[in-house]
Formats: sequence, structure tokens, C-alpha cells
Amino acid sequence: MDLRVHIGGGKRGLVLANPVLTASGCFGNGIEFLRVFDIQRLGGIVSKGITLRPRLGNPQPRIVETPAGMINSIGLQNVGVDAVLRELAPIWATWSVPVIANIAAERVEDYAELARRLDEAPGVSALELNISCPNVENGLEFGSRPEPAAAVVQAVRQATGLPVIVKLTPTAGDVVAVAAAVVEAGADALTIANTFPALSIDIQRRRPALGWGSGGLSGPAIRPIVLKMVYDVARAGLGVPIIGCGGIATWQDAVEYLMAGASAVQVGTATFFNPRAPLEVLEGLQEFLRQEGIEELRELVGAAVSAGQAKKVYSGAEG
Amino acid sequence: MTAERLQLQRAVVLSQEEVCRDTFLMWLSCPALVRGAAPGRFLMLRCSDGLDPLLPRPMSYHRFRDRDGERQFAILYDVRGRGTLWLSRRRPGDEVLAFGPLGRGLQVRPDARNLLLVAGGLGIAGLVALADEAVAQGRSVTLLAGARTAVRLLPPSFLPPEVEVVYATDDGSRGHHGPVTALLPEYLDWADQVFACGPAAMFAAMAETLRARASRRPVQVLMEERMGCGTGICYGCAVFPRRGGVRLVCKDGPRFDLRDLF
Repeated sequence: MDLRVHIGGGKRGLVLANPVLTASGCFGNGIEFLRVFDIQRLGGIVSKGITLRPRLGNPQPRIVETPAGMINSIGLQNVGVDAVLRELAPIWATWSVPVIANIAAERVEDYAELARRLDEAPGVSALELNISCPNVENGLEFGSRPEPAAAVVQAVRQATGLPVIVKLTPTAGDVVAVAAAVVEAGADALTIANTFPALSIDIQRRRPALGWGSGGLSGPAIRPIVLKMVYDVARAGLGVPIIGCGGIATWQDAVEYLMAGASAVQVGTATFFNPRAPLEVLEGLQEFLRQEGIEELRELVGAAVSAGQAKKVYSGAEG
Repeated sequence: MTAERLQLQRAVVLSQEEVCRDTFLMWLSCPALVRGAAPGRFLMLRCSDGLDPLLPRPMSYHRFRDRDGERQFAILYDVRGRGTLWLSRRRPGDEVLAFGPLGRGLQVRPDARNLLLVAGGLGIAGLVALADEAVAQGRSVTLLAGARTAVRLLPPSFLPPEVEVVYATDDGSRGHHGPVTALLPEYLDWADQVFACGPAAMFAAMAETLRARASRRPVQVLMEERMGCGTGICYGCAVFPRRGGVRLVCKDGPRFDLRDLF
């Protein structure tokens, strides 16, 4: 069974052994789970968001539960790129599972600087650009419109030969337009999508439930909305793989995303309530493909996209 | 200290009892969840049949017992919202999903003879297993237990009989009238080691008392913070040490040295 996913081309192109990855911010830096299950079996691990300088993150409370979901405002707590290169990348380099470094910044030149620093790091197989974090100042600014999003990708593209994946924000007025712009600027793949800006109020204290105020909504609650975005971008036929990310908790969810046009998926919040969720998604997917007699994953990707285009309008009186 | 091959386990509810107002004691059976469990460590317990409520709740190992040829464990929890309401409606024979044990537990010095336990509200949930273990080892244990009002105090019948219990209530309905931390100076010199679990305000008051008396008594606290994953990957349960930096309650704790945080 061929489950491989190709991201980017040429000498430094990335080949994932299978389409199940972990979502940034939902798997630490992988190291935390070395003893929980065999993480080498996954298609890829996306690191916690990396910034130029270390960040302590936002004040408490950082998470609040909402119907079938949660809102977080961690605030990109991370050790900074120096410590990543010194302490984490050497460990990643010993793994067979590729690690994708997720990077975040507030200025275009900082994205480029991060890309330069990580370019030759052993243990870093690709970059995922977070142009869509709702939990830092101006975090959403780059991802919300095509031009600034493309500017970040262009700068990063010039700074690295690594495959570049762009993680889009669901808040973009026109997600397809932003997707097209970043692909035009050189993106090798798209992750769709980041969390939704969201709010919860502590009614006893008459203030936002999170210390930062608002946060990002994730979990099964967002899945049908993100699925539609994947579907829309897939229909635009931009020619790069889409990585679906939003509320995936089971293999059935993953199959939905694949059929909607994603070539791979990221499991995020589900790992919080089921530590083995990424592995179970992979195992369930493999079993499904076996039962369906599918030899290559590609056969499944976008299976529902063309079907959805044949719309029939019924008209006339009821009954 | 994450367990090897961590995964969701099915635990069987053995009993369920409201032991004081809005506080439930639940005994559970699940060999995989007690392997490696110890006082101060915790598990993450799912509180729904499906995905809503979504997140598991961190629960201290409240007590252990050997019965029916196996080691069983108890949790103690308050009904605070939808998840714990769901939990309070489980009946003997029902199954719940959980993973653990997680976190770093409390550490008693081998030569510590007198242990002082300070519990604020539901903080008592994390300390009783330590009391059980300590009295079994022949140590003396005094528990200072505080609550808003008398009906919220865990009755002595749910504590090991060898433990000396001193109560405090905010409204004076039982024991000392005022915060439980006001009792601390009286017992501090007696104690070889202090263990505490409760709200941050209680820890802050304890730290102030220790500083005012220039006490060098070692104090371990079990921190409570809203938790998403329990496994160190969501970064939700961050605490900020006084000397800078950031720690995660689930991975670096929940046991901390009081003076590092307050």
C-alpha cells in the first residue's frame, strides 16, 4: 500500500511515509511523546511554533473548554530558535520521522531570518509558516489577505531551500485567494487551517475567561467548517498538496478530509483527550484502505470533490 | 515521568458517594491506572461518552486500597460543571475512560517523622493518599483542612483514623474561624516536612508565613491549573516561578517547592 505524500520537489523535497502528522502546538516538540507511543510511525511531526527569541507565553488562564472544542491562548510559548538548533534539532536528526519546524514572527524579515537559521539544521525537514496565530500581537495580519501572506512566503522562499508549507488562517475573507497567492509566491503545500479567533466570558467575574482575552478555537466543533475550506481550495486546483487540520479525532474524520481534497492531515486537539489519537487515525486509515482495496492513497484524495460539482436543483411544488 | 505506552484505559466504577456537599468520592478499578501511581500523581479522566465535554479532567489519586485481589484507587471531585455532573451520575459497573498515572508525586524524606498536611477546599483530594501511606509507615500526620463552610469539609470518617485533623472554615461554622493558613504557625515547628494543596491564595499566605518566621521547613505543594492534556504537549497549565521562566504543572509538577513559586 502506497501511503506516501510528496511535499516540494527537487533534492530537498520531502516525502512523508504516510499522511498523518501532528499539528503544531498539539504535540510539544515530539520528544514529550517518545515513550507514549512509537512516534516514528507517523508521517510527520510539526514542532511547536518557533520564534527568534524565547517566549514565556501568555498569562493564565490559557485554555477554556467550549462545546465540543476548546479555546487556547498559549501565546507561542517556546524556547526560541537558538535553543531549538542547539537542543532539539540534534534529537530530531536521529529520528526516521521527519520534523517540520513551525515558525512564527511579527515581521517579514524575522520569518526570513528564522528560515535562514533553520535551513541547514539537521533534523529539520521542512518549514511550516504560521501566518495565522491569533494569540500574539498582529499574529493574524499576514495571513488574512493575499498580498502580505505572499510577501512572507517570498521572503522565506529566498532564504531557504527547504520545502515551505503555509498554514492559513480561517479568518481570511477569501481563503482561496490567500491560498492562490502563497502558492504563486512559492509555497510547496498548504495547511488548512489554524484555529478560529474566539471568545468565552467568565460570567462570575464579568471578564474574558482567558488571561489574554480571546484565543483560538479548536476541536471537533470546527471540523465541518475547515473541511469546507479544504474542499474549496482543492476545487481551485492550485497544484500543491493540502494538509487538512481542524478537529480530526478519528480515522473517519481523516478520510473526510482526504476525500475533500487533502493529501495529508494533522491531528491536533484530539491528542489532548486521547494520547494515541494520531496513531489510531493512521491505523484506522490503513484498515479502511485495505477494506476498500485501495492501493494508493492518491486514489482517495479529492474523491468527493468532483462528485460535489454535479449539483442537481430540484424545483416545483412540494408533495 | 510519563508512563510507558500511555493510552486510554477503561476503569470500572466500584462506588460513588457524595461525602460532603457537592463533593463526590468515586472508587475505581483499573490495574493499568494504578501501576506506578503514587500520592501526588494524577490521571486524566474523560467526562463524557463522546466528544462533549471534550477535555479530560485532571484528578489526583485520592486513596488506594487492596481489595478483591487487586489494587483499587479513589478520586475525590467537586461537581462544578457539565463534566463533573456527568461523572457524578456514573453508577457502579459503569466504565469511564482515563489515562495515567502522570506527573511528579510528593516525596517524603526518609527521616521525616512528623508530616503536616495543609488542604484548602478540594485540595484535600491530593493529600489523603500521602496520609494513608505515612501512617502505615509509622509517621505522625496532622492535617489542617480548610473550607468555606462546615458542610464542605470532608468528614473524619473519610480520613485515616490515625491522622490528627484540625478544621478551619471561612464562616466559622466549624473549627477555626478564618483561613486554614492561620493555623500554620502553631504546627510549623512540630513538622519535619509540610505538604499542601489548595488555591494559589493559600500558597501565597503560607509562603508569607514562612518568610515572616524565617522558617526553613521544606514545603511541597501540589499545584492546580487548568489542564488540556496532562502530558506536556498543550502548554495550558503553565506556572511562572519567582526567579523567572515557565514550568508546566502536568510535566514539571504538580509537585513543586512552595518557595520556587510563591
